[in-house]
Amino acid sequence: MTRRALPRRAIFGTPSRWARARRRSELGLLIVASVMVLFAALLVSLALSDALPANALKIVLTMVGLTLGLQIVNRRLVPDADPVIMPVALALNGIGYVMIEALDPGHAGQQVAWMVLGLVAYTIVLAAVKRSRDLERYRYLILAAAFLMLVAPLFPVIGRSPANQNAYGAKLWVSFHSISFQPVEIGKLLLVLFFASYFVEKRELLTIPTRRVGDHLLPDLRAFGPIAVAWVLSLLVILAEHDIGFSLLVFAVFLTLLWITTGRWAYVLIGLVLFAAGAYFASHLLTQVNDRISIWLNPWSQAQSGGYQPIQGELAFGRGGLWGSGLGLGLVQINTPGNVVLPVATSDYIFAAIGEELGLVGTVALLVGYVLIVGSGLRAGLRARSEFAKLAAVGLTVTLGFQAFIIMAGVTRLLPDTGMTLPFVSYGGSSLVANYILLALLMRISNEGNHVPAAPPTPIWTTQ
Amino acid sequence: MDRRVRVVAVVFILCFTVLFLQLNNLQVRKASALQHSPYAPSTVVSTWNLPRGDIVSSTGSVLAYSTKNPTGAGYVRHYVNGPLYADVTGYYDWAQQALQFGVEDQYNRYLVEHESSVHSISDLLTQTKGTDTVEVTISPKLQAVAKAALAPYTDGAVVALDPTTGAILAMYSKPSYDPNKLSGADGKAIDKYYASLNPSTGSSPLVNGATSTLTAPGSTFKIITTSAILDHAPALATKYVKPTGALKLPQTNLQLHNFAGEVCGGTLAVNLWVSCDTAFGYYGLQLGGHNLASEANAFGLNKRPPIDLPAAEVSASRFPSAASFAQNQPGLAYSAIGQENVAETVLQDALVAAAIANGGTIMAPHLMAHVFDSQGRVVATYTPHAWLHATSIATADQVRELMLGVAAHGTAAGLFPPSLNVAAKTGTAEVGNNNCSSNWLVATGPAGAGQVPKVAVAAIVPYQPNIACDGTGATVAGPVVAKVLDAAVGYAG
Repeated sequence: MTRRALPRRAIFGTPSRWARARRRSELGLLIVASVMVLFAALLVSLALSDALPANALKIVLTMVGLTLGLQIVNRRLVPDADPVIMPVALALNGIGYVMIEALDPGHAGQQVAWMVLGLVAYTIVLAAVKRSRDLERYRYLILAAAFLMLVAPLFPVIGRSPANQNAYGAKLWVSFHSISFQPVEIGKLLLVLFFASYFVEKRELLTIPTRRVGDHLLPDLRAFGPIAVAWVLSLLVILAEHDIGFSLLVFAVFLTLLWITTGRWAYVLIGLVLFAAGAYFASHLLTQVNDRISIWLNPWSQAQSGGYQPIQGELAFGRGGLWGSGLGLGLVQINTPGNVVLPVATSDYIFAAIGEELGLVGTVALLVGYVLIVGSGLRAGLRARSEFAKLAAVGLTVTLGFQAFIIMAGVTRLLPDTGMTLPFVSYGGSSLVANYILLALLMRISNEGNHVPAAPPTPIWTTQ
Repeated sequence: MDRRVRVVAVVFILCFTVLFLQLNNLQVRKASALQHSPYAPSTVVSTWNLPRGDIVSSTGSVLAYSTKNPTGAGYVRHYVNGPLYADVTGYYDWAQQALQFGVEDQYNRYLVEHESSVHSISDLLTQTKGTDTVEVTISPKLQAVAKAALAPYTDGAVVALDPTTGAILAMYSKPSYDPNKLSGADGKAIDKYYASLNPSTGSSPLVNGATSTLTAPGSTFKIITTSAILDHAPALATKYVKPTGALKLPQTNLQLHNFAGEVCGGTLAVNLWVSCDTAFGYYGLQLGGHNLASEANAFGLNKRPPIDLPAAEVSASRFPSAASFAQNQPGLAYSAIGQENVAETVLQDALVAAAIANGGTIMAPHLMAHVFDSQGRVVATYTPHAWLHATSIATADQVRELMLGVAAHGTAAGLFPPSLNVAAKTGTAEVGNNNCSSNWLVATGPAGAGQVPKVAVAAIVPYQPNIACDGTGATVAGPVVAKVLDAAVGYAG
């Protein structure tokens, strides 16, 4: 029997007996998330115009459509996947939409369009990637695609520096006519997949010491060749494109996966030293990096220029206090020419805007949301059926969770601000689509891990 | 591998825990500090939309309150008898987008709508926002008397305070302005009125004439010189200074002349009673720059009084440094009589009198008495405390006795009813070369031995075109102080 003739169920895996329960809880959670988002949209509308939202019907239909659509897609394609991930993502995305509706209504419609597009991409990826090991096979193709994504903005015709001020000198965009996209967002997913498959293949080479240096045995350095090339090239690209947040993120994921593969602390140590050196040189070579660090350390010295945004972000958190000012009632709403209280309030600094309008209660709820997604992602990694799936799940989860962490830490001034979007919440189409694709891959791996096959492998796989 | 995945999970938990702590730090622990940050954006825009608490006098009469804006969003601020209390209340300025003055600025955090403080568990559950009421120590009666007393003049200032607590009982200066016209809803009218007040000049009505304007204190400074003699060179107090009309000054050919060419001299008591300039010039030279400067600093000169007003509104009074006198002995003689580079605010001069009345201790001057929340519960109370220990009880008592003589049979004779036991000192400071003077008087009472002082008053009526050039502290400022002091101690006349 050839594999082609296998029944569909065998390809997607037979659902376990808990599959129905999982999807039922997911439906319940999706409904809770939708209702929450609808009420939030109602509150914003009441706060801003003392009336029901003008597009009330459209919002209700969208949320109902997304809930049902997700439920159908998940029932058919990943019946056993974790039931928590998608409702939490939808809730985060919905709160983000509501904040954008409050702060910058002109762009809220576009965000909904990207949201729908993101879920379409989610469905396509789930349908296309039937098994996680399909991804493992094409690792060098993936690497090539990742590079293409990374360098695309540097090409003269399609690449462009955006006119809007919040890009801060970074070159991250490609555009065809009026459609702009940040290919880096997809590029980072591909890089994670490449790291995962490469580490699995070279695991023994990377782990087992074979080379004698003095009294010590070290792993074969040749195994690091492609990794080093990939890493150095991607960092160079980043230097050319001036995107610090991304390079930090890729580096963190790289180190995490290397350590998980090998268990060697020495790699982490070497990596951190490399990072420290890199950060030192970057702060001297790139004025942008230097600026961000000095602003981080003392924003008040330049309160009317570079420090304005972080100071106003911090003040917004303070104004919010425990319960917040209420949706649509914050001072961050003031956004008229010549009087902008919080710049970039819908992308980088949306967390501060949430801090003011929803208070500590809201920001902690957001934290809990990310913790739930990270937890579910890592659990998918623990239950994964192959080493590649495990590394991929952890890598993707770390990508999402770490990005959320460093942007939130940046806005609260725990770390220098790196200027990235808050996953699912910030305004921004590329990031939204990429993050839904990321979740599709996580759901795929989670699904594989959750349907525990009955004791012996199915007879189809045994040879007579 | 799985063990290491779990380690990653733990690292994430730690990261997010740090974030959680930082959020608590920003949104709970530092929330109120951040809300009052000087970098806070257009606070006025936000508070404009919120109700604002009242400012009330010590009798409970309302000085400032807010009502809904009838013509648009937000609230409008009203000031009862606005010009009378302008130095105290300041104004709630949203058009200029800055709270610059008075209690409105100093106690803004209580006046704006804020989370009310928690007194019980039920409060915690039903925590509401509210405004507080700020009660000031100002007595409406004394404030009105001060205004009436200054009525003949276009320029002048009075401060009356309780020497035993530092509570400001009256604080009024002319010219004044109407805070109502700076706090309405009509931004254009506000801008126009604001411009008419010449805000950038030192003589603007917006300037607090009692705490900010510096003038040479003239002979009222002799209180400090007298205290310096008793503290640092007691032998001088009993030394007979030969009467003269002019004091030969070292390092120069110039001479220090007495007011109106008088000839005077004698012991310290006599010299203070008649305010003998040549004798005090001589005392200054004998004391030396170090002793005089340290006494002046002990009385609070060169320091900003810690009154609860925005720092920009309160000036430190000036006395030259001890070192500067080495090359300027004439300056030392002039400084001892409150001339040349010595300059004080009316508040500072009132504090000097208060120090003498209160056994040498200057209590921190203050305007706030209590802050109440909307339920009438006390949220904050100003606890009187000492600012400076200017001199010893013994010295203060001796100076007080000498100042009683000034009011009984010295330069301030006839201003106060003898039964009140008032201690006083006049000051007629020369400004420019035209013989016109700034007229001072400080007084405190009752100041008899063993009596508890009720009030210390200082007033200045500077030179101005519509008063005679030959006025003195006693003739011009004297009646102003007398009216306020009589009212304060309850003397019915």
